[in-house]
Amino acid sequence: MASNGQPKILVFSTEKISDPALDLAGLLKKHYPFTIYTISVPCSSCIKPRWIMRAFDKGFSGVFIAADGTDCSYGESCGEKTSQVVTTTHQLMRDKGLKPSQLKMAAICSVCAEPVVKHLTGFMKELEKMQS
Amino acid sequence: MVMTKKKIGVYVCHCGGNISDYVDIEKVKEAVKDEANVYLLKNTLFACSDSSQKEMVADIQTNELDAIVVASCSPKLHVPTFRGVAQRAGMNPYNYVQVNIREQGSWAHSDNPKGATEKAILLVKAGIARAAESEALTSSKIPAANVVAVIGAGVGGMRSAIALADMGTEVYLIEKEKNVGGHVANFGSLFTTDKMGYELSANLLSEVKKRENIKLFTNAEIVEKKGSIGNFDIQVKVDNDVLPLHVGAFVVNTGFDSYQPQQGEYGFGEQTNVITLPEFKKLIDNSSERLIFNGKAIKKVAYIYCVGSRQNDEGDNKYCSRYCCTAAIHASVQVNKKFKDVTNLHFNRGIRTYGKQELLYEESSKNGDIYLQFSLDSIPEITQKGGKTFVKVKDILSAGKEVETEADLVVLVTGMVPRENSKLASQLKIPVGRDNFFNEIHMKLRPVETVIDGVLIAGTCQSPKNILETMNSSMAAAAKINSVLTKVK
Amino acid sequence: MEATNNDSMNRSNAGTTDYDVLVIGAGIAGEESALKLADMGFKVLLIEKEPSIGGKMILLSKVFPTLDCAACITTPKVSETARHPNITILTLAEAESIVKEENNLFSVTFKKHPRYVVENDCTGCQECETVCPMVVKDQFQFNLVARKAIYIPFNIANPRVALIDIENCTLCGACEQKCPSNCIDFTQKEELVNIKVKSVIVATGFKLFDPISIERYGYGRYKNVITSMQMERELAPTRPFNSVLRPSDGKVPDKIAYIFCTGSRDHTVGNPICSQVCCMYSTKQAQLLMGALPMADISLYYINIRAFGKGFNEFYMQAKDMGANYVKGKIGSISEKENGNLILRYEDIVTGKVTEKEHDLVVLSVGLLANHEITKVFKNEKLELDALKYIKQPDLLQSPATTSIKGVFVAGTATSPMDIPDTIMSAGAAASETSGYLNQWS
Repeated sequence: MASNGQPKILVFSTEKISDPALDLAGLLKKHYPFTIYTISVPCSSCIKPRWIMRAFDKGFSGVFIAADGTDCSYGESCGEKTSQVVTTTHQLMRDKGLKPSQLKMAAICSVCAEPVVKHLTGFMKELEKMQS
Repeated sequence: MVMTKKKIGVYVCHCGGNISDYVDIEKVKEAVKDEANVYLLKNTLFACSDSSQKEMVADIQTNELDAIVVASCSPKLHVPTFRGVAQRAGMNPYNYVQVNIREQGSWAHSDNPKGATEKAILLVKAGIARAAESEALTSSKIPAANVVAVIGAGVGGMRSAIALADMGTEVYLIEKEKNVGGHVANFGSLFTTDKMGYELSANLLSEVKKRENIKLFTNAEIVEKKGSIGNFDIQVKVDNDVLPLHVGAFVVNTGFDSYQPQQGEYGFGEQTNVITLPEFKKLIDNSSERLIFNGKAIKKVAYIYCVGSRQNDEGDNKYCSRYCCTAAIHASVQVNKKFKDVTNLHFNRGIRTYGKQELLYEESSKNGDIYLQFSLDSIPEITQKGGKTFVKVKDILSAGKEVETEADLVVLVTGMVPRENSKLASQLKIPVGRDNFFNEIHMKLRPVETVIDGVLIAGTCQSPKNILETMNSSMAAAAKINSVLTKVK
Repeated sequence: MEATNNDSMNRSNAGTTDYDVLVIGAGIAGEESALKLADMGFKVLLIEKEPSIGGKMILLSKVFPTLDCAACITTPKVSETARHPNITILTLAEAESIVKEENNLFSVTFKKHPRYVVENDCTGCQECETVCPMVVKDQFQFNLVARKAIYIPFNIANPRVALIDIENCTLCGACEQKCPSNCIDFTQKEELVNIKVKSVIVATGFKLFDPISIERYGYGRYKNVITSMQMERELAPTRPFNSVLRPSDGKVPDKIAYIFCTGSRDHTVGNPICSQVCCMYSTKQAQLLMGALPMADISLYYINIRAFGKGFNEFYMQAKDMGANYVKGKIGSISEKENGNLILRYEDIVTGKVTEKEHDLVVLSVGLLANHEITKVFKNEKLELDALKYIKQPDLLQSPATTSIKGVFVAGTATSPMDIPDTIMSAGAAASETSGYLNQWS
């Protein structure tokens, strides 16, 4: 939990595509809750389920994967592989009594500043409801 | 075996206020100073400035730091800068970690300075941990092919090809159509020069042919692409054959399309005497003594500006197409030069003849052309009465007076739209911006590069522009990619 | 243009020349072309007549339409240029004469103005400034505040090294005594240096229009009529004051007016063309002001809004949505009230009536002018200018970087008004054409 009791969300963004979208959101001063932290990776398909589980262990209420969809230049299968990561993790989450809706994934393009802020603020609201 | 870094240098940047106006830098420093393995902790006004960089190099060398963390702006801006700092200090550049406390810190949470500070503290701590525990790789060198595929042989593409060839790069110039020259090959007179469009196109083609290191393929399209910068393998379909080619990079010069007005837009498609500016231009170029359209002598031309540009509704083209005010006024000046007694009426939303092009506007006004201005919520009405065409508008320049005039020909000044390029865009993964044109990495400083290494964009496929601007952008792309492919260390 | 096939590795033969390229002017155009050529392996000498590189861009607050801070995007370019092994930078260096020789080399003589400070030893500590007794108007803050006779041009200057404005120096020696690295040297003299280069790029930039010649605007007489560049400095991160203040009494203004086309589209001051960037920079400043002074009214008096580039129209719409008041009408005259406020008189085109409005601060959106003195430097072959006094581009569409002298190229606002992305592309084109030219060199 954060100092103000707000839930914490961990975002995995991709260096070339969804992270620039988050940067653009900041540039355009599109505000979102500050208890949302981002770790940027080269490709969302390399995210390990055990990283996501560790996030929940460490106090994050939600994890959001800002994936690339079909924008990535290195391969078409990224979306599939990332979905696989989510499916595997959902299983681990169920075993630990976590709700699957605490892990979300969406395709974010490099200029999708508004959509990503929408996703994150929506996610935060959901988690706040869950918390109360 | 991963060795934890024991001596980490941490730099927290003010960014001239962009960060420090919201994030309490002192608080951040206080909170991270006791983190494990932090050896040095400093704040900087502009970490990227030369003096700060010099200081960092000295710090690394004097203290034998094994990693550095820079908490400042987005990695998009300065990763190469600080990797350079590390390298100059003799440190593996991948032992430097960038923490973004600006775009994803002070700016995203400028409405909550306390929150921004709290987040910055956690992000910096995370960065320190990352620097401490991650294993740095060393970079490898791969031979890069000094060959570029220029896609599109319009005037921009041909100019890119010529520039590259003159700098010693091999070029495959790939053109989808049977003929080169794109739109400009069909243009007669151009503005700001006395050359004709078809002359310019022909000159460029002859220069292309003179250079042995440019291979031109027409009726050609890329059907497959694999690889990464320096080493792309593509399959190009030329007529009915498929050629495998190996290139180091791409310069995309695929150009624009003219906006096609919708059925009924200002009477287009319903009234026969409503045409687009490109069609009008052709008419002027092909007429000599008299201006005749559909067998009728034209005495009054009404130009309606901003058709397909500067629209307001969802999904519309919100941008300004940049070239059209000048092009329309140029057409008007041509009409005046070539034909007698033709009145030109310009119904516009504010004339944008920027730079030296302003002189054309002045010339047109001096010739007696009439300018009326309308706003988006009160656009001109085109009506037919008794076999004649009338244009009615509330003119801003006469304090909103309603003005109606007859017109023999209505010319819709149509803008530029991005070409339908979805196949190429998905093959090369070229990012597309909010206005649907191809997107550059950084609008100000890196206007011809994309986030995909080895794919550059030039000319009107990046945004509307005139010929001069297309030439500059095409040559800038050539210079950029040549300098990357020929780097010898 | 001539066709050529060549070996791309062997770029520069140090043989008969000192450098492959001389770039005159180290603003963004000069830096960009120098960087591209240096990356290709050519040896570049970059000379700048001011004490710091970075041109006008490094003095700006934020840039349109992205609102990136200008310093943030300029300093890395400046750094990269300063550190590049193939680029030699000389500040306070001004070209005196360039003569094209028979073998097509250029014999260049330039003046090195003395800094009176040993560059390599100065640490930028600014101790000298604290003891200097002479106070002078600060030209880098466009006369908004003062500086000392010994000074560092501005916080992010490169090189970040002091210099002495010898004209205003009393030679008291206080700085010399105070300097901890003993790097002050009053014995430095002006030097004339002669070198040979294969090619030249003119990147001398633009001049800002001085509105003193428009009497009816009162610039220079009315304290609260300032130029956009002065406002730019008030908004920049290395700003002179902590807030936006007006000169007469230091009050924070709340009714600010912008007057577009000051010195542009105006035959009476000799500049009939549009300066291309002022509509946008004024809109940018308006957005920044609305952020810094949320209670202020900002009125912008314009003829047309030239918001034509990528993202420009959207930026303009955004400013309107934020509350900026765009008024179509050219200001006829300005008069001053006793409290320093100004009355603007204009014809409001929408209503068709002559109106007067009161404001407490007026900003003149000054235009860009040609900086043509460089032509005097070319002694035998003539560097031609166009009718507007910009460097002439004889083959405008096919070879925009070439000039009337073979081997001399041009980049940036030396050719015509343009914004930063256009300047970067123009500089890229100049690098491309210079490289092509050098590759033919035999």
